[in-house]
Amino acid sequence: MKEKATQINLPLNRAEGDLEVLLEVKDGRLEDAWSSGTMFRGFEDMMKGRGALDGLVVTPRICGICSLTHLTAAVEALDKLSGVRPPDNAYRLRNIALMVETVQSDVRHSILMFMVDMVNEMAYQHFNMFAEAKFRYSPMQGAMANEVIRETKRLLKIIAIIGGQWPHTSFMVPGGVTSIPDQTKILQCTMIIKKFISWYEKNILGCSLARWGEVANNDDLDNWLEESIEHRESEVGFMLRFLRMAGLDLIGSGPNRYLCFGNFPLPDKTDVTGINGKLLAAGYAEGTAVDEFSDDLISEDVSHSWYEQQDEPLHPFEGGTVPSAVSNENGRYSWVKAPRYDGKVVETGPLAEMIVNRNPLFVDLVERQGSSVLSRQLARLVRPALLLPNLMKWLEEVAQDPEAPFYEKVGAIPDGQSAGLVQAARGALGHWIKVVDERITHYQVITPTAWNGSPRDRQKNRGAWEEALIGTEIKNEENPIEAGHIVRSFDPCLVCAVHTVKK
Amino acid sequence: MVTAYWLQGGGCGGDTFSFLSSESPNVLDLFDALDVSLLWHPSLSNGTAAEHDTLLDEILSKKRSLDILIFEGAAICGPDGSGRFDLKDGKPKISLIKDLAHVASYVVAVGTCASFGGFGAEKLIEAKGLQFTKKEKGGLLGKKFKSKSGLPVINLAGCPCHHDVISGAVSAIASGLSLELDEYQRPLEWFNTTVHQGCTRNEYHEYRVEESSFGEMGCLFFHMGCNGPLVPGPCNKVLWNQQSSKPRAGVPCFGCTDPEFPFQRPFFKTPNIEGVPISLPIGINRAHYLVYKTMAAAAAPEHLKKRTKKV
Repeated sequence: MKEKATQINLPLNRAEGDLEVLLEVKDGRLEDAWSSGTMFRGFEDMMKGRGALDGLVVTPRICGICSLTHLTAAVEALDKLSGVRPPDNAYRLRNIALMVETVQSDVRHSILMFMVDMVNEMAYQHFNMFAEAKFRYSPMQGAMANEVIRETKRLLKIIAIIGGQWPHTSFMVPGGVTSIPDQTKILQCTMIIKKFISWYEKNILGCSLARWGEVANNDDLDNWLEESIEHRESEVGFMLRFLRMAGLDLIGSGPNRYLCFGNFPLPDKTDVTGINGKLLAAGYAEGTAVDEFSDDLISEDVSHSWYEQQDEPLHPFEGGTVPSAVSNENGRYSWVKAPRYDGKVVETGPLAEMIVNRNPLFVDLVERQGSSVLSRQLARLVRPALLLPNLMKWLEEVAQDPEAPFYEKVGAIPDGQSAGLVQAARGALGHWIKVVDERITHYQVITPTAWNGSPRDRQKNRGAWEEALIGTEIKNEENPIEAGHIVRSFDPCLVCAVHTVKK
Repeated sequence: MVTAYWLQGGGCGGDTFSFLSSESPNVLDLFDALDVSLLWHPSLSNGTAAEHDTLLDEILSKKRSLDILIFEGAAICGPDGSGRFDLKDGKPKISLIKDLAHVASYVVAVGTCASFGGFGAEKLIEAKGLQFTKKEKGGLLGKKFKSKSGLPVINLAGCPCHHDVISGAVSAIASGLSLELDEYQRPLEWFNTTVHQGCTRNEYHEYRVEESSFGEMGCLFFHMGCNGPLVPGPCNKVLWNQQSSKPRAGVPCFGCTDPEFPFQRPFFKTPNIEGVPISLPIGINRAHYLVYKTMAAAAAPEHLKKRTKKV
């Protein structure tokens, strides 16, 4: 970015090059950051002219770890376009599958992608917890890393039982689901979940889901940590202690504005309670003040992205995705667009979900000091504790009512436009579709990583994690691990590389 | 010890996540028992970028031997062949792919994007497979490419590739077994039967009891766009996640192991002439098939016609 600057290829782990963050360090602090998505795959272009249902097959292939979430967004848009309300059992199976995908992603990201950075020798070998971190998280060898691979693999069997395979099934269709699982198969799913819950309680929480549910503020959290050796040695306990020692409770504060699209539509008859027909409410929060969410306030700015320019930021029903030359002229530096809500930079993810849904623990943490690496990671690691009991209830309800329908017939998809808005593991995910004569004429996708990892907009406002990086102290420019932790706490759906400009 | 390096191009990472679900052998056993050393995997390794650069230097300068290069995702060649739609350190990723392919003993393309270009092959990103672009031989590395072992690229097709095919192929190579390949360089071990083989809806297919709306019990081939009898793959022989397959769950096979995947025609629909699919099962005579299926439908047992048979 600066003519005389030297670029040095500096480490952020698992660097393969789809995401490169250029850092500018001055006097040991991050002065500026540019986050660049370095790959263009053109999915929205591929969708044009395809059959109306093809989003169900093509869009899961956008992402291998949240493919079922794309399927959920695609089918929600088609349900709405068809004017159909799927039967209760269809909602239950869809929600069960989406929860399973979310839970595996939360646990895998926390252990395999985030905590593995605590094995960084240069940064942490002097910590007395380092040997234990190495024992737990070393790739392919760490005890917890291997357990996570084994346990999440077993958990994902549920999606295969319900939907045929994971990843990349298309068992959700407008009007419901394609499968009608036998009662014995539902029972099998119940056994898998029970086993997973007991593993999660023993290893991740170190206590029961119910005990964890009592932790309602920062003081509770401290008391919980002190309460027993099981709590301290659990993954949550170990993460809290390590991250606090590394000062990660104090860095990585984002825009302090949070977006959640809401998730898990409730069946008409269910014991699961929620807000406005969903288990998780949609909303937008400035700090911890929650406001209503409106799709109309979303726009995408491409002023710093490698796309054909537009006069103004456009709503995804209007905006296009036409690539232009890859050059850094005119300050353009990324294939990621800059989505904004009411013109503002927001963050999304498990923490945003907690804030918008008024979870007392996370409201307290954020009211004390805004968001941080620790609050984001903690929200991710404990989110399964909130989801799993509902998953069990929905399985029981399907088992009680196996003869009820799973699909309501839908004919040709009518002309029109529609949006499917859901929560992926990483945050708000939207699909916007237009159909004419049973063909797709327009398809736009905004992923959570676009919200969190966007480049600047025309007002020069940085994207959420660009902003979260600013001012961070970098102890060792050869190993800017702090920057890595911050970006990873947003769970980027890309592997990243960091370059540093020295000043 | 057998060394492996996993490289990703333009893809979704789905093959990596499929791989984590492999059972025979499972991922941890594969590395442990077979002594396969995964030098680098973009989502799993935790070496620093500097260590990664050193590793790449050592491999490319042949100071360190590379037994198996595993490539996931498409080689993105756009715009205009420049490869600049996918950059690593400001340079097109395709040059790194070529360099690594030329020093590896075996080159394995995992997934349909890596094998045949897959998503984006006919569109503006100019996606190519390592040695094919759809059915046309050539791809990124050229028709004549052979890795140091003398074999061309081994194509583990599928979107994603079935987990047990990935771990099975890696363990076969690591154990010195030779893999026989079909015309699209897919190992016959997993790609010499159709996806249809072992499908629990086969009785419905046999007697032509058709599904014409989701959630009915019946064969998905005649109306719902199932490619099971048309493409090779082990999905109903070696089950997904040790449990099931898409057709078993009422989802048509989309033909994802085919070099032409994703087909341009709409999914969930079988193009047909008067109720008979235009594409018929591999190697079949159309006239014979018509007679056979008409007779079979007439002979269908009642429990199938009433769709009381579970799938």
